[in-house]
Amino acid sequence: MIEIRNLTKLYGPVIGVNDVTVDLGAGAHGLLGPNGAGKTTFLGLVTGQLRPTMGSVLVFGERPFGNARVLRRIGYCPAADLGERTCTPWEWVTYLVRLSGFTGPAAKARANAALEHVGLDEAARRPLVTLSKGMRQRAKLAGAIAHDPDLLVLDEPFVGLDPVARHELVELVRGWAKTRSLIVASHLLHEVESLDASLAVILGGRLVASGTAAEIRGLVDALPAELRVRCAAPRRFAEIACGIEGVEGVRIEDGLVVVATRRPAAVLEEAVPRAVDEGLGVSEVVPADRSLEGIFGRLVRLHRGVKA
Amino acid sequence: MIAPSAGGGEIVAGTLAATVAGIRTVAAFQLRRLLTGPRLAMAAVGAVFPAAVMLAANRAARGRLDGDLTVAMLYALIPEAVCMLGLLVTMCPAVADELERGTWPHLAVRPGGRRSLLLGSYVAAVIWTAAVAVAATAIALPVTTVADPWRVGRILVALVVVSCVGRAALFALPAVIMPKRALVASVAVALVVEYLAGVIPAVVNQATVSLRLRSLLVAWMGWQRTLPIEMQLLIDPQPAWVQLLAVGMLVVVLLTAAVVILDRRQFPPSEEI
Repeated sequence: MIEIRNLTKLYGPVIGVNDVTVDLGAGAHGLLGPNGAGKTTFLGLVTGQLRPTMGSVLVFGERPFGNARVLRRIGYCPAADLGERTCTPWEWVTYLVRLSGFTGPAAKARANAALEHVGLDEAARRPLVTLSKGMRQRAKLAGAIAHDPDLLVLDEPFVGLDPVARHELVELVRGWAKTRSLIVASHLLHEVESLDASLAVILGGRLVASGTAAEIRGLVDALPAELRVRCAAPRRFAEIACGIEGVEGVRIEDGLVVVATRRPAAVLEEAVPRAVDEGLGVSEVVPADRSLEGIFGRLVRLHRGVKA
Repeated sequence: MIAPSAGGGEIVAGTLAATVAGIRTVAAFQLRRLLTGPRLAMAAVGAVFPAAVMLAANRAARGRLDGDLTVAMLYALIPEAVCMLGLLVTMCPAVADELERGTWPHLAVRPGGRRSLLLGSYVAAVIWTAAVAVAATAIALPVTTVADPWRVGRILVALVVVSCVGRAALFALPAVIMPKRALVASVAVALVVEYLAGVIPAVVNQATVSLRLRSLLVAWMGWQRTLPIEMQLLIDPQPAWVQLLAVGMLVVVLLTAAVVILDRRQFPPSEEI
């Protein structure tokens, strides 16, 4: 469905996407990365809003930029909130469907059906400004699906939604992904995971990992985790840590002992009690960073071939 | 399946028909957007101010304002000032508004969405501004003492249409080349191209709308023989159809250039820059 070869996008001296090569087949795909990682640029290239600086992107076998045949088959829901305020969701969705080439009556019928599908039929005739963020998000989604695209591309669809609205939107998108192709860009790992999508992790414009959620977690687990310990005698603590099985590296940074290990729990259970017994004055233990940012950071290190 | 199955999917057949349908859709949407309190108030001011100026001028001249001078003043106020200002506020933000509202990506991913946006906004700007200028003509003429108000009214309305059609195309270029500075750039274009180059008696003024408007005014008012020799340098003596053809060609060239530029424009997502 999507073939990307050495795709690079530069904005002057700023790198948006850096030498990405990936094939995305039909199905659901999650694009993970922190803010500024290059996700929106990647989606802009896939949806034909941007042209590659180098490399190529083919969607349905063709270049998407300015290509009406490809654009007709894509539905795109951008991250930014709709600044269109005075018109109603029905007017907005009808407008977009008409711009996709449908006749007036067909556009109205499709707008009605799409708004009903996203559960916005009752609020369809209220001005967008009076709707909640979740409802506006649904209006955007209705606009993206009403022309019946083969590929739905969603950029940060869950941002700013309360848990209930988020859950409902996940269900809606999951329903879509059962029959059509989908790309969801997000910095929320668990929500993309809940879509049963294959994952691609992008960071600093580079694709640092791709595969199923389990494969990515496996990659992350293959890297040593880093424990940080603050104590009064860091050198002595480092000595203790070096003697523990599974410790792959120890260094001292700004008075903190940084222990690299694939068995962080074991190190905590063995080294910290000994340090306490010896009166090393352990005042702080920071476990391995399991946040998405931490995982991204470790994936980058893996990508660069750093072992510890 | 999330895609709606109800309603069928009749696609507009043919590229030209689809383009025209897209332009109509955008024009209607943009005109609806213009129907807000502040915009209507601004339009009302635009419609009334030529009449206010003419009233003040008449009062200053103690009701003895010359008929030809009155027509020249109405021309300066309506096809020039009202149309110029109206187009500056309706045509210049054609792309910038979409970027600001976050609606640009929604439109850019539609087949033909970019050109529909530009040409639809152009049509909306022409209709809106022309409507305001025609209202200004209808309000201003009764407060003047021109000999044949119906004839002058028809001439002014025709000039309004030519002014709007030509200058909206002129402002389409800054709107797509530098959307975020379109207003400033358009004012510069208006001053430099229309009011500086337009009054230089050389080849350069042939490509301005202002030369064509002045020439049409002189031709339709029958002022060719009475015009002072120095003023004759500021007009093109060829017949009216030549002036209209020239404006038409200018519009086609400007809009084609604007469409080509907008079709190739890329707006990077700002959060990543």
